[in-house]
Amino acid sequence: MKGMHGIIFSYERRNDLGELTEVRAPASIPFGGRYRVIDFALSNMVNAGITDVGVVLHGRYQSLLDHLGTGKNWDLSRKRGGLTLLPPYADKPKWEDNAFRGKLDALMGIRSYLDAIRQDYVVMTDGDLVVNLPLDKMYEEHLKSGADISVVCADDSFAVADGTYFEVDQDGWVTDTLYHIHQPRGRRGLEVYLLSKELLIRLTDECASHDQYSFRRDVLQARRDQLKIHAFIWREYAAQIRSVQEYYERSMQLLDPAIRRELFCPQRPVRAKSSDEASSYIDPQTHCVNSIVGDGSCIEGTVEDSILFPGVVVERGAQVQGCILMKGTVVHKNSVLHNVISDKDVEIMDGRTLMGHASYPLVIAKGSKI
Amino acid sequence: MKKECIAMLLAGGQGSRLYVLTGDMAKPAVPFGGKFRIIDFPLSNCTNSGIDTVGVLTQYRPLELNSYIGSGQPWDLDRSDGGVHILPPYQSATGATWYKGTANAIYQNIGFIDLYDPDYVVILSGDHIYKMDYSQMVEQHKRVGAACTISVMEVPWADASRFGIMSVDENDMITEFAEKPKEPKSNLASMGIYVFSWKALRHYLEADEADPNSENDFGKNVIPAMLAAGEKMAAYRFSGYWKDVGTLESLWDANMDMLARDAGLDLLEPDWPIYARTISLPPAFLGREARVEHSAVSRGCDLEGTVLNSVLSPGVVVEKGAQVSYSVLMPGTVVKSGAVVRYAILGENCYIGENSRVGSDPAETDPDQWGLSVLGPGTKTEPGRVVPAKTMLDRYGKEVAR
Repeated sequence: MKGMHGIIFSYERRNDLGELTEVRAPASIPFGGRYRVIDFALSNMVNAGITDVGVVLHGRYQSLLDHLGTGKNWDLSRKRGGLTLLPPYADKPKWEDNAFRGKLDALMGIRSYLDAIRQDYVVMTDGDLVVNLPLDKMYEEHLKSGADISVVCADDSFAVADGTYFEVDQDGWVTDTLYHIHQPRGRRGLEVYLLSKELLIRLTDECASHDQYSFRRDVLQARRDQLKIHAFIWREYAAQIRSVQEYYERSMQLLDPAIRRELFCPQRPVRAKSSDEASSYIDPQTHCVNSIVGDGSCIEGTVEDSILFPGVVVERGAQVQGCILMKGTVVHKNSVLHNVISDKDVEIMDGRTLMGHASYPLVIAKGSKI
Repeated sequence: MKKECIAMLLAGGQGSRLYVLTGDMAKPAVPFGGKFRIIDFPLSNCTNSGIDTVGVLTQYRPLELNSYIGSGQPWDLDRSDGGVHILPPYQSATGATWYKGTANAIYQNIGFIDLYDPDYVVILSGDHIYKMDYSQMVEQHKRVGAACTISVMEVPWADASRFGIMSVDENDMITEFAEKPKEPKSNLASMGIYVFSWKALRHYLEADEADPNSENDFGKNVIPAMLAAGEKMAAYRFSGYWKDVGTLESLWDANMDMLARDAGLDLLEPDWPIYARTISLPPAFLGREARVEHSAVSRGCDLEGTVLNSVLSPGVVVEKGAQVSYSVLMPGTVVKSGAVVRYAILGENCYIGENSRVGSDPAETDPDQWGLSVLGPGTKTEPGRVVPAKTMLDRYGKEVAR
């Protein structure tokens, strides 16, 4: 069958996300005032006409299961295909301690699922990527280039935790794959890979038989002479959410209208779990500027340069500056918050002062009461 | 499959007193309160009251309403047994008729109701804004053993002559019903919400249909007939927020009530959610120069100008230097820079060109000349156009008389 199949990897491996991943995998971190990080990967696939998507789960996936449900919100609740949740190591005969070593290990864990894929091509993406990527264009370019594997690169060498970088020649062919480098160079890889189902299965089996588990080391690096690897270069906003600092800075970029137009372009809408909050209410005493405001919020205090998720309450006299307040955060009267990331259902009592700094935002864990 | 109670929602009316707003859609499909449409209220009330089978009777311009209701999933009414069903008029072996009146609409769907063999049928209208637990009303109906229970609320005596007025005895049993009486004997007004014992209603619907002089209307014919026959008719007192949004003024009022804390219409409270079909849009953005006060904003709004005392639906854009006050802006409406919108209702996807002026402040206008300005869905005003108070434009920018 023509077309692409989608696989999204939701890892637990990143550990720079602190309290944000205490209760969830990076893929289900709330982002942008309404979304979960995985919504972007799912929407990219659905907008490119992909009908079958497998999500490889790893640790702490309860939050992700709650979010994904049947896949209805992404139109992926289908009679045939649609969304398939792949619990860790579905095919593994026994549980081992360190469940996840690399992408190939995870693919081996779902080996029988790979066999059942109906489409000729597979696009794989990490669950921690925030981008609005036209995968259908990438697919076209892949077919035209005659490449074995296409990788998506950003137009920069921005440093990300545990990043992968590519040296690309002028015709778009990848000449080298780099990681664990002190000073990033080349193009930042977004860990989106497109290849044929047949090649994917062959590589998975070959690598498994040699106990090779890292896609970038054992495929992209080690087999670079046997495989034609082509780069699809993406020049717009692309964020990999791998540290608190990156989460904060990449979120704040959304206050720039040009960035919002890139990420939320109307031709490729980002779909999210539907919510039942009413419209937000903004009080007469308020000063609320340069901020993103989710539905169902009630703002009576001062809010500047911030991102508010649905159902946030900012009471009179409170000041919120440079903050990210997730769903259900309540900031009581006369509190002052600067550069704070509050997780879901945090309550800040009257008159508290919490100060982080743009270079070191203060994270408050889910459900805390201060 | 038997259901104890099902609901029938009358959604076929044109809503002619909403003029240009209902030119292309039935009244229940008109947007309300930011992200909602009017029909979200009765549908959500049904779900929250545990009624999982709802027939929606449509007739006038049903396209928008049908596509909005779809499978009923947003209201949790996509059931394998029951759920929401759209019921348009249909052709039968003996010919075809439109729904001649509210009672006739139900009469023509006796077959649908009989499928569920219900003990009770709740009759609702698609043009009221309120939150109500129908299960309590059904509970009272069962307890007193009524054939019909009518939901009523106390209205100011001065307004009583605009409503259907019920006189009741000491047990709240209805003794008399008068439609818009000149000299009201009571201030208990019918809210147009009825619970019937299906057996009784079925009987009276058949009798009503056989009467060639009947207008086939619940308020005018069926209720008086049941009362005259001595059926047990109970009043159910309701005291929360309720508003008929059948006129432009009442639609505007109800939107403003949503902003006022003490009006009793709190849509942010989580206990009785009002569900709506939502669209994929990013959250609202308030720009650096935005001044937004005492207003409701929804997802997809992009606000750089001044917004005071207004209700903004999803996808509304207010550009830098534009001013919107005391207005209701329906989904996708754009107000370009320098434009001023005051005391207006702007239908879906209106486009207010640069430096246009729509509506005016009552304080600055001759009282005889003042009224809400209303633009039909899709209206574009060219830059600099002035649309005075009390003016209504259709989608072609032509003035429409009230």
